[in-house]
Amino acid sequence: MASGSQTVTRPGRRGRRDARERSGVSYPRWYWPSFTFPGILWLAVLFILPFYVVLSVAFGTVDPLFRLPLPVYQPWWWSLDTFQTTLEKFTSGDRIYLDPLIRTLVYVGLSSLICLVLGYSVAYYTARYAGRWRWLILVLLISPFWISYLMRIYAWQSLLQPDGYVNDALGVVGVTPIIWIGRPITVVLGLVYGYIPFMILPLFGFLDRIDQHLLEAGRDLGAGSFQTFRRVTLPLSKPGIIAGLVIVSLPMFGDYFTNNLLGSTSTSMYGNLIDSAVGQAGQGPEAGSLVLILIVLVMIPMLYYLRSTRRSTEAA
Amino acid sequence: MSAHPRQRPSALSRRDFLRRSLGVAVALPSAAAILAACSKPGTTSSGGATTGTGARVLARPDDPVTLPMTQDPIPTDTPIEGGTLNVYNWDAYMYKKTLKAFEDEYGVTVEWTTFNNMEEGIQKLVAGQVEADVFFPTTDYIARLVEADLMQPLNHELIPNLAANCWPVFNDPGPYYDLGWRYSVPYTIYTTGVAYRRDRIDDAAAAAKGYELFFDPAFKDEVSYYDSYRDAIGMMLLRDGVTDANSSDPAAIGKAKDAILDMINGNGARLTINGTYAKLPEGEFSVSESWSGDIVGAKYYLPKGTPEDVLGYWYPEDKRGLVGNDTIVIPKAAPKPRLAHEFLNFFLDKHWGYQNFADWNGYQPPFTSIVPDKLVSDGVVPSTLASAVLDEKNFTTGYLQGELSADTDALWLDAWNEIQAGG
Repeated sequence: MASGSQTVTRPGRRGRRDARERSGVSYPRWYWPSFTFPGILWLAVLFILPFYVVLSVAFGTVDPLFRLPLPVYQPWWWSLDTFQTTLEKFTSGDRIYLDPLIRTLVYVGLSSLICLVLGYSVAYYTARYAGRWRWLILVLLISPFWISYLMRIYAWQSLLQPDGYVNDALGVVGVTPIIWIGRPITVVLGLVYGYIPFMILPLFGFLDRIDQHLLEAGRDLGAGSFQTFRRVTLPLSKPGIIAGLVIVSLPMFGDYFTNNLLGSTSTSMYGNLIDSAVGQAGQGPEAGSLVLILIVLVMIPMLYYLRSTRRSTEAA
Repeated sequence: MSAHPRQRPSALSRRDFLRRSLGVAVALPSAAAILAACSKPGTTSSGGATTGTGARVLARPDDPVTLPMTQDPIPTDTPIEGGTLNVYNWDAYMYKKTLKAFEDEYGVTVEWTTFNNMEEGIQKLVAGQVEADVFFPTTDYIARLVEADLMQPLNHELIPNLAANCWPVFNDPGPYYDLGWRYSVPYTIYTTGVAYRRDRIDDAAAAAKGYELFFDPAFKDEVSYYDSYRDAIGMMLLRDGVTDANSSDPAAIGKAKDAILDMINGNGARLTINGTYAKLPEGEFSVSESWSGDIVGAKYYLPKGTPEDVLGYWYPEDKRGLVGNDTIVIPKAAPKPRLAHEFLNFFLDKHWGYQNFADWNGYQPPFTSIVPDKLVSDGVVPSTLASAVLDEKNFTTGYLQGELSADTDALWLDAWNEIQAGG
């Protein structure tokens, strides 16, 4: 065997290994890792480079004339002044940014929980009981995505007017017209509406893969339906639950147009702070700083998710 | 790795090597770019802009400014170009039929690129992402665009309609931000007042309350206010009796900010940009901060069967309220400057400029031919919106908002951030 290269073998595939050894084919050490190159390129161009630009804007400056953001790409010129000032808006003085942050955590938490409860029920039914209708149900769940999210939220904005159809329907059962737009519950339900398919689909994937025999074994050992669910199905679907929660909650943290269309400044979320700073002259570095702070905050659930999936992989 | 003047000749640590490599690798690999990368960004010219905002006098009505000539205007005998004219403007701000008439008269095509706010518009123009023949900036950007050498001076001989049709304040001596109208012509003029539903508030009550309408608990959750920091804070400054619409007084700005927060948190007001022309006609709002053009154009958004006279507009009777205008300019790099001059002249034409306003825009051009009473009698403006029509006197009594210094702008934006964050 040449140094720096390795012969590819797989345990248990003696026949093929013998064939390779007979043919003399051996791959250099870099061969198989090189298959990750497209993925690395993708990550570099679409994540690392844009992230570096965000850093350059956050630690950069503004053009003195138009006060447009001026990214500083050389790290030795980076300035932490704006980042510090932005951080202080959370921690000191009037703490004007703290309320939107807390609101975002509450709204995202509540919306994710509602997505989980409703999404789990739908995924469970589709995986276990829908039978030959499961694919139709899945298509119907995905079909709203054929229309842009913005258009769907605009539609809700219209439905939730004081004289909209929602109030008309509630009026049939004697409920007086409710002012929906600008209320926290409307923003939360808007987030649920927008992101629940991202909860249902991964959950369906995990629930669908649960071996029927495990459930039957539970029954055979005397567990009732609820016990089987609690002690067999639920633990086995835990990776799906965590995946679903991560997939729905991460984009919610940066969501701003749900609040723009269904909420008001009194329900403003973290994403609205970023959106506002991006649109104002001279506030580019502040917008970048807000993005960096958000990244650090969402790292916490991300790291938990990575740790939890690594544990499940190791356990498997 | 390219040589860098700050690179030390002694052995670099691996960290230093990577750090400096990354910084230079991301920069453009040209000598000019490398030289520019030597100095700290923001301290030398960038994108054609020069420093010196501190030295430049901010134009004010009582301190008008003559902008420097950065080059000679194009010669009068320049042939009119054919092809496509690139117009860079707000969305929905020009009547398509008027554009079509221009296309037919000159045998050209007009390509209309839009921007959503002035910051976006300026950013793309400065970065060269948009190649425009004609641009529509607000007045507070004119001096800066000239300083950055991004605009070309106009040849007045090619725009006879300005002197022939427009109010003297815009051509002789010219507007305070561009005396002698060296770089700009006016597009539309507007006041900023309070629009209301006349089927919910009578005119006398509205006139008595004025700016207090936003705080009236009778209209809780039915109030809309502009999602624009200059208009929002500016109006509350006037409400507090501060007549400087470009105030740099932190106390006055703070008071205006508190008033807006009170309006939002106490009376359910919402910040929107389409509250007047889209939502007030539908009945979602009863009271709305409004530019005069928005309320005049709102009649096109009334549901079927709703009469035009439900729309009302309050503006101080003594005409001491916010007033402003938009402009049209020709960027320095315009590929078709001669055709662009024709475009400016076309929209200053008595007939075409009027059609743009009366049949679509709702935003009045400053033409001497437009007589307020005639607008009402012709049905262009409903009689209930007569207060939304301007005359030249508006520009002597009204309060104009101009460019703010960086420090003052920061004060305004800090207040606005607090409002956006919910207070």
